[in-house]
Amino acid sequence: MPRSNIIQIEDIHKSYGNYKALENINIKVKKGSIFGLLGPNGAGKTTLIRIINQIILPDKGIVKIHGQALEKKHVYQIGYLPEERGLYKKMKVGEQALYLGQLKGLSKTEAKNRIKLWLEKFNIENWWNKKIEDLSKGMAQKIQFITTVLHEPELLILDEPFSGLDPANSELIKNEILELKKAKSTIILSTHNMNSVEEICDEAAIINKSKKILNGKIDVLKNEYSTNRWKVIYKGNKMSFTNAIWGGWKLENHQSLENGTNVAEIELLEQLEISDFIKGIVNHVEIQEVIKKTPSMQDVFLNVINNE
Amino acid sequence: MSEIWLIIKREYWTRVRKKTFIIMSFLGPLLIVGFIGLTAFLSKEKKGGYEIIVFDEGKIFNGVLRNNEKYHLEWAPENKNYNQIQQIFKKDERLDLLLYLPANLIKTNSMTAKCLYKSIPSSPAQKHLTSIINEAIELYRVNQNNIDIETYRAIKTRVNLDIIDIENQENKNIQRKGIVGIIFAFFIYFFILMYSVQVMKGVIEEKTSRIIEIIISSVSSFKLMIAKIIGVGLVGFTQFFIWIIVISVTSILLLNNLFPDIYSSTLQSQNPITVDSSESAQIIDFLLYKIHWPSMFIFFGVYFIGGYLLYAGMMAAIGAAVDEETDTQQFLIPLTIPMIFALSMISSVIDAPSSSLSFWLSEIPFTSPVIMLVRIAMGIGPSSVEAWEIMLSVGLLFSTFILTTWLSSKIYANGILSFGKKATYKELFKWLKS
Repeated sequence: MPRSNIIQIEDIHKSYGNYKALENINIKVKKGSIFGLLGPNGAGKTTLIRIINQIILPDKGIVKIHGQALEKKHVYQIGYLPEERGLYKKMKVGEQALYLGQLKGLSKTEAKNRIKLWLEKFNIENWWNKKIEDLSKGMAQKIQFITTVLHEPELLILDEPFSGLDPANSELIKNEILELKKAKSTIILSTHNMNSVEEICDEAAIINKSKKILNGKIDVLKNEYSTNRWKVIYKGNKMSFTNAIWGGWKLENHQSLENGTNVAEIELLEQLEISDFIKGIVNHVEIQEVIKKTPSMQDVFLNVINNE
Repeated sequence: MSEIWLIIKREYWTRVRKKTFIIMSFLGPLLIVGFIGLTAFLSKEKKGGYEIIVFDEGKIFNGVLRNNEKYHLEWAPENKNYNQIQQIFKKDERLDLLLYLPANLIKTNSMTAKCLYKSIPSSPAQKHLTSIINEAIELYRVNQNNIDIETYRAIKTRVNLDIIDIENQENKNIQRKGIVGIIFAFFIYFFILMYSVQVMKGVIEEKTSRIIEIIISSVSSFKLMIAKIIGVGLVGFTQFFIWIIVISVTSILLLNNLFPDIYSSTLQSQNPITVDSSESAQIIDFLLYKIHWPSMFIFFGVYFIGGYLLYAGMMAAIGAAVDEETDTQQFLIPLTIPMIFALSMISSVIDAPSSSLSFWLSEIPFTSPVIMLVRIAMGIGPSSVEAWEIMLSVGLLFSTFILTTWLSSKIYANGILSFGKKATYKELFKWLKS
């Protein structure tokens, strides 16, 4: 049985004066998935996220959560980590987390207990009385993350959660995100970091110039945008290899290894199939391996954005 | 509702726990009382009286100039000149003042005598000396003109003119009460500005620290703004109450120690010729019995709430429109000008508390908190301000507050999400229309 959608974004339009920030956006996010929201700067991602968070209202269209139109009560089910983040600098860690937790509908005691658990989890139990201004940026990011997930929201919206983090903290947050997924949370991840998309996202959408231009499962997207690129490992003479077939392909990269093995990266042009290519060279060099190159999300992203 | 309460609590507690709040709450009133006390103390008569050497150039005042223990006069040696007597005065540590009565003093009705001092005589002492010299000259002329001394005493008068409202004859000398109004006007100006600026700073803090986006993903920006205004306003009230308590307690202590005789002193001068030495007692009598304090404090509260709410909403909008505090100047100046204008108009209002200028300044919401308190201090009634004028003014103030807060909330909602630049007036206008 297919998983139900937690979020349905239907025909969202939003303009600021004459500037169109979002046009006809339709996105569905499956419950329990990690959804990547991608796009260059200024594409409209933050506007969309703010609409889901009910910070601003769309001019047209509707956002549904569990099939219901968004209402005030739904803010308690959403956790939001904005790209430009911050905390009250003069407030103490504990007080601050308590305040933000209560604003998200937790009772004081409940919030207190959960904060303690999280501080223990990150090995920072003794931070309760520290002021935010006394923490390093990375330390403050941990507190920020805790305040975002404290009320155990069904839906987490993380805008560039890895920016400004060192590799260790990045890894820590990545693991926490995967943990939350296991615990059945749904996560919308807006990021420029394509590696993280590839590693943790199930689905993604790309928004460019206020329009959605691509949406789907990560592996499907990669397949769709795979070009006819191959890696051919062979033994033999490079001249024999390149002269075996005239036309219909391009040599993109070539490397000769010490043991006489060569690694060639080729792109087949439209009229040539890989089987024809192999037939053409098999009598000239000794083929060891032929591998299809799948594009990275980075390639997909650049391909889509540049073709716009 | 519970989120509003949470925000109010946070705004309130983070501020009243600050060191600056605690220091301001106690130091502010202590400084005020201390300053008034010091002024009163300095103008108080010198203990033990004055030793005064008199250089009577025309040799006509000996025996005529009234002498007593408190202002003890001694005659300078007759064979010395003015310079020599100055030397004597300088050397003799016992002497406090040198009174120089030039020979021409009696020639016309307006001559000048001189009083040289080592440390400046108190104002009652100065008045006493002027009065005994006048008295002596008059007595000298009485003698010269063969007028019977009793006749002179019968003729000699000293008139006080009370300025009285015909409708309410208890209502005397209201212009003096205006002084109390000035003090209240300055306080309300100070409180309104100080706390509405705190709202602005709070908004800037949330914007620059970027926590704003997290907060407004939980509560609407309108609720956040209102809760912040209420929270900071409560801090203002707390401070006001602490000030009242500290001022009352310290002034009672100070009065009892500085002027132990105030409660027993008689307020009328016994002899029309003698100087009234209990001036401080008169002031205290005026302050204690002539000013209607309950209405002053009640209306201070009402106008503080109204004025603060009026300005706080607009200050919140300014805070949202800028990216850092240094950018606020261009928006703050037009906002504070009406209040400063009101302060500068106080003396005209005291001169004519029921004029149409006073009426309009106390009805227009941007100046009414300052001006209306001056008029109320001068008494509620036809000679200063009528009850209906106060009701109209309060009504206008509160309805304007609702209007400005509604408009400000639009600027606020757009401004808090616009980072990295200072809004222009054009943008503010665009946000207003949104």
